[in-house]
Amino acid sequence: MKNIHRHLAAAIATACLCAASANAADKTDWSRFDSGAISGLNMRNIGSATMSGRIAALDAVDEKDGKTTLYVGAASGGVWKSTDGGTTFKPVFDREPVQSIGAITVDPTNHDTIWVGTGEAWTRNSVSVGDGIYKSTDGGDTWKNVGLPDSERIAKIIVDPKNGNTVYACVPGKLWSDSADRGLYKTTDGGAHWNLILKGGNLSTGCASISMDANNPGVLFAGMWDFRRKGWTFRSGGESPTAKSGSGLFTSSDGGKSWTEISSTANKGFPEKPFGRIAVTVAPSDSKIVYAFVESTDSALFRSDDGGKTWDKRDKSQLMVWRPFYFASLIVDPKNPERLFKPDLNLIQSLDGGKSFANVGGGTHGDSHVVWIDPRDTQHVYVGDDGGLWQSFDGGNKWWKQNNLPVSQFYHVSVDGDDPYHVYGGLQDNACWVGDSAYPGGIGNAQWENMCGGDGFFMFADPADQDYIYAETQGGAIIRVNRHTHQMRDIQPRAGYNEKLRWNWNTPLELSPHEKGTLYMGAQFLFRTRDHGQSWDRISPDLTTNDPQKQKQEESGGVTVDNSAAETNTTIYSISESPKQAGLIWVGTDDGNLQLTRDDGKSWTNVVGNIRDLPKGEWVSWVQAGQFDAGTAFASFDRHTYGDMAPYIYETRDYGKSWTALVTPKDTKGLHGYVHVIKQDIVNPQLLFAGTEFGLWVSIDGGGHWAQFKGGDFPAVAVRDLAIQPRDDSLVLATHGRGIWIVDDITPLRNLNAQVLNEEAGFLPVQAAQQRISAYGGWSEGDASFTGPNPKDGARIAYYQKSRHLFGKLKIDVLDAKGEVIDSIPANVRRGINLVYWSMRVKPPRVPPAAQVAFNSTQGARVPPGTYTVRMTKGDATFDTKVQVNLDRRANYTVADRQAQYDAAQRVSALFGRMTDLVYQLSAVRMQADADSAKLGEKDALRSQLAQLGDKADEIRKKIVATKQGGAITGEERLREHTDTLYGAIMSYDGKPADYQLARIDTLTRELDDVAKQFSDLQKNELAKANAALQSAKHAPIMVPPGAPADKSGGSAEAAKAYFSRFERD
Amino acid sequence: MLKSWVTMLGAAGLFAAVSAQAITVDELIAKNAAARGGLAKIEAIKTLKAEGKMRFIGGFGSIDLSFVQYKQAPDSVRTEATVQGLTQVQSWDGKEAWQISPFQGRRDPERMSADDAKSMADDAPIAGSLIGYKERGDQIEYLGTEDVDGTNAYKLKVTFKNGDIEYVYLDPDHYVEIRTVGQRKVRGTLTEDITDYGDYELVDGVYFPFSINTRTRGDGGETVLTVDKAQANAPLDATLFAFPSTPKSGQ
Repeated sequence: MKNIHRHLAAAIATACLCAASANAADKTDWSRFDSGAISGLNMRNIGSATMSGRIAALDAVDEKDGKTTLYVGAASGGVWKSTDGGTTFKPVFDREPVQSIGAITVDPTNHDTIWVGTGEAWTRNSVSVGDGIYKSTDGGDTWKNVGLPDSERIAKIIVDPKNGNTVYACVPGKLWSDSADRGLYKTTDGGAHWNLILKGGNLSTGCASISMDANNPGVLFAGMWDFRRKGWTFRSGGESPTAKSGSGLFTSSDGGKSWTEISSTANKGFPEKPFGRIAVTVAPSDSKIVYAFVESTDSALFRSDDGGKTWDKRDKSQLMVWRPFYFASLIVDPKNPERLFKPDLNLIQSLDGGKSFANVGGGTHGDSHVVWIDPRDTQHVYVGDDGGLWQSFDGGNKWWKQNNLPVSQFYHVSVDGDDPYHVYGGLQDNACWVGDSAYPGGIGNAQWENMCGGDGFFMFADPADQDYIYAETQGGAIIRVNRHTHQMRDIQPRAGYNEKLRWNWNTPLELSPHEKGTLYMGAQFLFRTRDHGQSWDRISPDLTTNDPQKQKQEESGGVTVDNSAAETNTTIYSISESPKQAGLIWVGTDDGNLQLTRDDGKSWTNVVGNIRDLPKGEWVSWVQAGQFDAGTAFASFDRHTYGDMAPYIYETRDYGKSWTALVTPKDTKGLHGYVHVIKQDIVNPQLLFAGTEFGLWVSIDGGGHWAQFKGGDFPAVAVRDLAIQPRDDSLVLATHGRGIWIVDDITPLRNLNAQVLNEEAGFLPVQAAQQRISAYGGWSEGDASFTGPNPKDGARIAYYQKSRHLFGKLKIDVLDAKGEVIDSIPANVRRGINLVYWSMRVKPPRVPPAAQVAFNSTQGARVPPGTYTVRMTKGDATFDTKVQVNLDRRANYTVADRQAQYDAAQRVSALFGRMTDLVYQLSAVRMQADADSAKLGEKDALRSQLAQLGDKADEIRKKIVATKQGGAITGEERLREHTDTLYGAIMSYDGKPADYQLARIDTLTRELDDVAKQFSDLQKNELAKANAALQSAKHAPIMVPPGAPADKSGGSAEAAKAYFSRFERD
Repeated sequence: MLKSWVTMLGAAGLFAAVSAQAITVDELIAKNAAARGGLAKIEAIKTLKAEGKMRFIGGFGSIDLSFVQYKQAPDSVRTEATVQGLTQVQSWDGKEAWQISPFQGRRDPERMSADDAKSMADDAPIAGSLIGYKERGDQIEYLGTEDVDGTNAYKLKVTFKNGDIEYVYLDPDHYVEIRTVGQRKVRGTLTEDITDYGDYELVDGVYFPFSINTRTRGDGGETVLTVDKAQANAPLDATLFAFPSTPKSGQ
C-alpha cells in the first residue's frame, strides 16, 4: 500500500479525563511526564523561508550521476541536505541536542561520511553554542558525537583527501569564558581519539582558520585567534588595537607534528603583530599560492607565491577589512588560483589574484559567510549569508535565492485577533514580518510581508488601530507602520540634555493589558506612550546598575572597533505589566536588577536581592507577571554571557519579597540550556512554558516537573519567545533558527495532570470544532519553495494512553444523535497524548460504476452542526466523549442555511442511490438475458429476443452512466455525471444552495424518473414477453433484483470486481 | 508496507528486555520471530490475503477506499483499492510490476518502471524484511535504540540487495515492529516513507498489524490502512500476480 500511498473556550468533554486534586499529584509517578507523554499534541512549522536565516557552514560534492549533494549548516537551525543541488532540502540533524552549526565537511574519499562541527564560529552577540564534533557514515541519516564536547564552537573541519580517518578540527572554542579546550585538533582513527596539535598561547586563543595543501596533505596553515565576548563588550585580538594578542598564523609541513609561526621578521612582507582574526587558504590548484587575510591595525589581504615563505600585501578595500570577526574566510577557485571570493558585508570577488576585488553580492542578502565553487563548473557558485543560501550560474554575479530553507531566526512573536490570526515577529538581520497562521493552499513564502529593515525584534499589531503595527529594530529603534501603505513613522524616545539613552540590542516592548494602545519601552528608563508614540512619559529612574565599566562600547571590538549596539549594556531587557493590576509593572535588566512598581512608576523596588543563591549580574532574560494573581511573577535569568549555560527560573507570590526556585543548575528538572522566556498559561495557572536555547519545556504542575516538547519533530532549536492566541488556544513559538511553530490547540495540555498520567486511557478536552470554509489558494511554485502546513482539517479529537497500543483493535467511532455510527476514524497508537481528526462528514453517496470515478461524490456531505459522540474502544474498555461541531466563525450563513445545504446534498445522494439500484437492476437483466441467450441455438427466435432485451436494458443504462472508456476527456455526461457536477456545486458552499441548484435536483430527478419509467416499461413489455417465452421454453425467468446490495464500506475489492464484471460487456 | 503483516508476535511480552548494548541483530530477529508466533508458524504461511479500508488523506481532504492485498511466497504481492466500483490494481510477481489505473477511464494494464516497482518488491516477501534476510542477500545492522514517539525502540537498518534501505524499529518490550522508515532511490532521487504499525491481531496463530499508517516525507500525504480480516494460506489464482495475458484479465 505504500506504493498506492505515494501516488477550553468551548471545550466539550463528558467522559474525559478530568482535573485531579493536588493531593493526587503527590502520589504520582512523575516519570510518566516526559516528552513522549506530551509531544503527540504535535506542532507545525509555518516558516518562513522567504527571509530564511544565517547560513554558517556549507559543503558540497559532485556525484558520479551528475548531481550535486549539498550540506548546509544553519547558524542555529541544524544541517540541511540536498541531493539535487538545492531544489529540495531535508533537515538531517534534528534529533541531535544542538542546532548551531560551525563547520561541515564531506569526506572526499567517501561521500557517505560527513563531519559536522557544532557551534557557529561567526561570533556575533546572538550566536548559539555547540557540543562537539559529529560524524555520520550513512549520508546524514544518523549521527554520532565523536568528541570535543567542550569545544562550544568549531570553525572548520578538513579531511585528509588520501585518508578519511585523518581529520583536523579547527576549534576557536568558548566565546564567553576561558577554556583550554580550544586549538587545532587531529584524529587519525576516524574520530575515536583527538589530539590537540596546535594550542593557543592563552586561554582565549583558539583556531579560527585552517587550510591544507590539496596536493600535499602534510602541509597545513592555521590561523589562531584570540577573542572574547562579554555581555557589554567584544574583542577580536587584544583588549585594544595595539594590546597583546594571542592571534597568529602558523604552518606545518608534517601533518601538524611541528609548527612554525609566520611572522613579519621571519617572513618578508607579512604584517606586524598584534593580530585579530586571520583567514588563510592555499589555492587548490597551485600549492605555492597562499592567501591570508590578517586583521591588524592595517588589515589587508596578503598573498604568498612560495608556499608561505614570503608575502605580498594585496587588497585592503573597505569590504576586505569590514568586521573581521564576522567575515573571515577566503575561497579560491579550484582550477584558477587567481580567482577568489571573500564573503563579507557583501560578497567580493577577485579575478587578479587578490590585487583588486569587486562587490559581486548583487541580489543577495549580504553579510555572507560561506562559498562553495562547483569544481565541475566553476561558474556555478553557492553563497550562504545572513539571509539564506543563493546560487549563481554566471560565476558569482547574478543570484537565485533558495526559498526552501526555513531557518529564520526570530527574536519575538505576537499574534492578533484576526481569523485566521496573523503572526508578527522580528528576526536577526532579517527585518519585521507579518505572516498568516493559515491560508488556503498552505502558508507559502508569499504569505509573509515585511514591514521594516534591519534586525527585527518586538512587533505588535496596534490594538487601538488595526491599520497600524509597531515594529522594532536593533538598539531600540521603533516605528509605527501603516500595514496598507507601509508608511512608517520613527517614534523612538529621544535623550534629554547631556544624556545618552542605553537601548539594548533586543530592547523590550510591552503592550499594556489594560489600556489599548498603551505601550511600554525600556532604555535605562522605562518609557510609556498612550498616544501611539506622539509623546512618551518617562516613568522610572535609571533602573539598571548604571555600571560605567559596562558602558565602554566605543572601545569594543579589539583590533577593529565594532560598536553596533550589540554590546550596549546596563539596559532594561524585560517588561511585564500585571494583567490583574494596572500600574503594577515588573522590569528586568541585563545587569541583574529586577525592579517592581505597584504605583504606575512612582516608586520602584529592586527585588532581585530576595532571590537566594542567585549569582549577581545575570541577565533577567524574562519577567512575566502572573496571569491570575497580582503578587505572582515568574523570572528567568540568563548567565550564558558569563559562560554559564544553565537554566534559572524563579517564582514569587508575594510581590517579590520571597522567591521559589523552580529550576536551578543544582536542580534543572530536565531543562537544558539558558532560558530565554518563561510564561504562564492564560487558562491553567499550573501550566508553564519555558523556552531555552535548546527547545521548549512544559510544566503542568506549576514548575515542579518539566518535559521537553518535541511535537512535529521539533528540533532542539532556541525558543526565544512564545505567544498564546486566546481565541484559538494556540501556542505560537518564535524560534531562533527554525522560524515560527504553532501548536493549534493546547486545551489537551491544559487538562493533562497527575491523575490523567496514571490512567490507562481516556479522552482529553479540545476546542469545539468549526467547519472551516473550504477555499482554494496558492499556486504551484515548483519543488524549490517552502510551504507551511495549515491546521489539520477536521474536528480534533484528543486522547491519552499510558502506553503504546500494540495488540487488538483501538477503534474510534463517531455517532450521531440517534446513536448511529456515521464514521470510523483510524486511531493513533502512540504513548501519551494522541490527536486524530474527524472530517465531520457523512459517508459518501453510493454511486453507480461508470467509465470514470465521479470525483465530487467520493466525499460525503458535512454533517449539520451539533453535538456528536465519539466512542473509543480499546480492548474491553470503551470511552465516550462529545464533539461540538460549529459553523466557521467567519460564516455569513446560518445553521439553518447549513442544514439546507446538507439536506440538498443528501437529496442528491439519494438520487445517486436510486441510480445505483437502477443500474444494478438493468445490468442484472442484461446479464441474465445474455447468459440465457448464449444457451440457445443460433436460429432460435428467443435468442434474438433476449439479445434485443439485453441491448435495450443496456441502452437505458447508458442514459444513466457514461460508458466510454479509454482515459480521454470524453465529455460524455449522463445523469450520473450531471448529478456529480451538481453534487460538487452544492458541496462547494456551506450556505443555502442556490434556487437553480435545488431546481436542478428536481430536474435530474425527473430525468431519472423518465429513465426509470423506460425500465418499468421494459419490464412490462419486453421483459414480460421474454419471461413468458422463457417459461414456455421451460427456462427460468429473468429476475429483477430489488436493488444494489448495501455496501456501507464500499465493499471488498473482490466484491467490487465481481459486481463490476457482472455488469460490463463493453 | 503490508509486509509487516507477517511481522507477527505470538508471545507478546514474554521476553524480558535486555541491555541495548548487549543485543545483536540475530538475537533481535530471533526475539522478533519468537514473539510473532515462532519461525515455524511464520514460514508455514505461503499466502496471505488481507482486506480492509484505506483512507487516503491529502491536501484536498480524504478519500476512503476498500482494499484487498494478496501475497504469495516467495515474493509476489498484489494490491487492489476500490472506489465506486473501480479498482486500482498494483502487482509484483517477483520479476516485474504492473498496474491498472481505472479512475480516469483506463482499464488496461500498464507496466511499471523498475524503480517504481521497488517499494512493492521490498514489501513482497511474506516473512518481512527481517526474517530470511540473509537468504535474500540483504544486510542488517543494529543501530542501538531511538525514541519513537515516546518509545525507546530498537533500531535496525536493513540494506536490501537492490540498495534500498529500511530502518525497522522494534518495541523494546514486545519486539514487534512499531515503525519502519523506507528509503529508496527512484530515478536517482531519494524517497522516504514512514510507516507506523499497531492493532496487532492473530491470524492462524500469528500476529499481524491491523493498523498501518504511512506518510511520505515531503508530500504531506498520508495513507491509513485498517485491516478488517486477514487469511493465511488461502488458495490464490496462479495468474493473480503476473502481467495479464489479455487486456482485461488483470481486473
